[in-house]
Amino acid sequence: MTSAFLRYAIVLIAAAGMGVLSAPVGTFGQEHECPVPERFYTSEPLLTKTTKALTGGREVVIAVLGGASTVGLAAGGPGSAWPARLSSALAARFPSARIKVVNLAVARQTAKGAAERLVRDVLLLKPTLVIWETGTMEAVRGIDVDEFRETVQAGINELRAAGTEVVLMNMQFSRETDAMIQFGPYLIAMRELAEANDVPLFRRRGIMRHWAESDLLDLRARDDAKRRQLAAKLYDCIGRAMADFVTRGVPAAKAAASPESSR
Amino acid sequence: MIYRIRSKNAWAASQHDRVLIRRRGTAAVGVAVEGSDWKEVMSIASGPSAMERDLRLDFFRGLALFCIFIDHLPNNVLAEFTFQSVMFSDAAEVFILISGYTAGIVYSRAMERQGFVIAGVRVYHRVWQLYVAHVFLFMMFIAMVAYTAGALNNSLYAEEFGAANFLDEPGVAVAKALTLQFQPAFMHILPLYIVLLAVLPFVLAGFRSWPGAMFFASFALWLAVQLDKRIALSAYPGPDGVWPFNPFAWQALFFLGAWLGWRGARGGVSWLRRRWLFCLAVGLSLAGFLIRFSWTAHEFYNPIPVLVSGKPLWMFLSKTDLGLLRFANVLAVALLVARLIHPQARFLASRAARPFIICGRNSLHIFCLGILLSVLGHLVLNEFFGGIPMQLAVSAAGVVIMISVAALMEWFAAAQGASRASALGAPTAGKGARR
Repeated sequence: MTSAFLRYAIVLIAAAGMGVLSAPVGTFGQEHECPVPERFYTSEPLLTKTTKALTGGREVVIAVLGGASTVGLAAGGPGSAWPARLSSALAARFPSARIKVVNLAVARQTAKGAAERLVRDVLLLKPTLVIWETGTMEAVRGIDVDEFRETVQAGINELRAAGTEVVLMNMQFSRETDAMIQFGPYLIAMRELAEANDVPLFRRRGIMRHWAESDLLDLRARDDAKRRQLAAKLYDCIGRAMADFVTRGVPAAKAAASPESSR
Repeated sequence: MIYRIRSKNAWAASQHDRVLIRRRGTAAVGVAVEGSDWKEVMSIASGPSAMERDLRLDFFRGLALFCIFIDHLPNNVLAEFTFQSVMFSDAAEVFILISGYTAGIVYSRAMERQGFVIAGVRVYHRVWQLYVAHVFLFMMFIAMVAYTAGALNNSLYAEEFGAANFLDEPGVAVAKALTLQFQPAFMHILPLYIVLLAVLPFVLAGFRSWPGAMFFASFALWLAVQLDKRIALSAYPGPDGVWPFNPFAWQALFFLGAWLGWRGARGGVSWLRRRWLFCLAVGLSLAGFLIRFSWTAHEFYNPIPVLVSGKPLWMFLSKTDLGLLRFANVLAVALLVARLIHPQARFLASRAARPFIICGRNSLHIFCLGILLSVLGHLVLNEFFGGIPMQLAVSAAGVVIMISVAALMEWFAAAQGASRASALGAPTAGKGARR
């Protein structure tokens, strides 16, 4: 059982790795299967430090914090999680840059749990950018929303003090859980945090809802195999959308990179 | 037994107004408990010369119920047009303040007439009804969890949703729900209401003996919560879960309402009519409106600037702990409403206001119905989507259902009242005159 799982994971990771290595640059420039409407990108603040690092030719480390959906459990593991897909998408967009995406997500980790790891695990990597996926555990467990806001605010302060840029990512959209778990207050808290701190907010929930609404992704899975397939596709879409999101935050670096990639 | 006493009392109290009551369709003698509570409100709120009920209470409670339903629907564009988009407070504050005020009028009066014990038992009878309603809502929640759990375990969200402790230990979850420690989505207000009402008899007794001290103690407790967030009731699942509405903070709003109701039954509070207080309320409400509305507008269209950035205000905007701005804003608006709208304003008695009035009058039932409808609304909106037209349609359908059920209850109460009245025959004039 375990070995079968391991084998599967290794095959997946290897496939993902081969995909990254072998895919011609052009394929990533194609129109997405899961496009994101403009309204999810507009009016987000720019990522100036990441831009500087990219244009300066330095290595860009993107650390990702998050929960189960960032670990990629539903798709079999980190190999097909969205941070891995983000990594390949960014590599295609900035072929000459050195971009490393490190997935630090832990399933069922609260914002507090993640914040406690900032010094120990995150800042140790000297990341240029931290993408922080959070809010799900708080909503599921009904943790005090004021406390959640304070925790994330303190985390943002700490990351910024260390010279790291931050992108926030909110929860997944699901058809079924909404009526049982009250996400509203936590979504509002994240929006307020992003707004108050001039931090870009990747509205994963809204984007997934849009995909479900426009029949691009069904988001429902009847059995295990289907679920894995669906999850892999979803994480691919999220990874690419996040690559778009980051790319828009670094227009100067994109302009520098585009003469090569547009051909 | 208790019920009978109370009904008869309500009946006697409002005897010579029978025609008026009938016309307004409120002859609910001992059927809908709220109806009979309300009749007392009506008969005592404004003295013998104007024995009419304060329609503002019904109206705004009805409005709050609609807002609670609309706010609870996911992604609902209409939620940008409820209380919360024009003031720091939302429907919860309005609901709790009005409930406190009503309870203050009704039960302080009962205490005077029937004594502490009977009035106390009446309060606890009401507490029991609220508790049963809470358990009923929890039953729905459990049914839905049981129904969806299978699909969820196979879904993308299995791992995330699996972290909800109630799946691992349903026995504990049910027990914790019965002790009010487990408050799943949308089930936060009733537990708050229950504990506040359970303390009410003692607070009312306190008002009678040491009004100043009670008033001060309630406010001091609220202030203590603002200064020390650890003053909270723990909730399941732990370890650091808290009640989403901190009763130690929200009691201030409820008991302030109760105090106003208690004083209102005794000729009102004279300093509430001071000019400076009115000006202060206007200023506060206006500032609250401008700032909060600029946030709403900014949310809609990003280039519109916010008047005051939210971050420095966060500590005063806590919903859990009833932050200062939420508290002050609802009081300011309430004062304006009290001063500017007459209890029997023509609009409030009109047909247009009637849907609000009847929902506000049957608030417990309509509240529970609203919660149930918002859960169903979630399922519909997340299944069929349909954008803004669908959101409007679901909101409208829910509101119509709430109004229809309220109308049905009013009709039934009136029919029961009429048959009871004919069975009783003409009541003795003495009882009515004793008032």
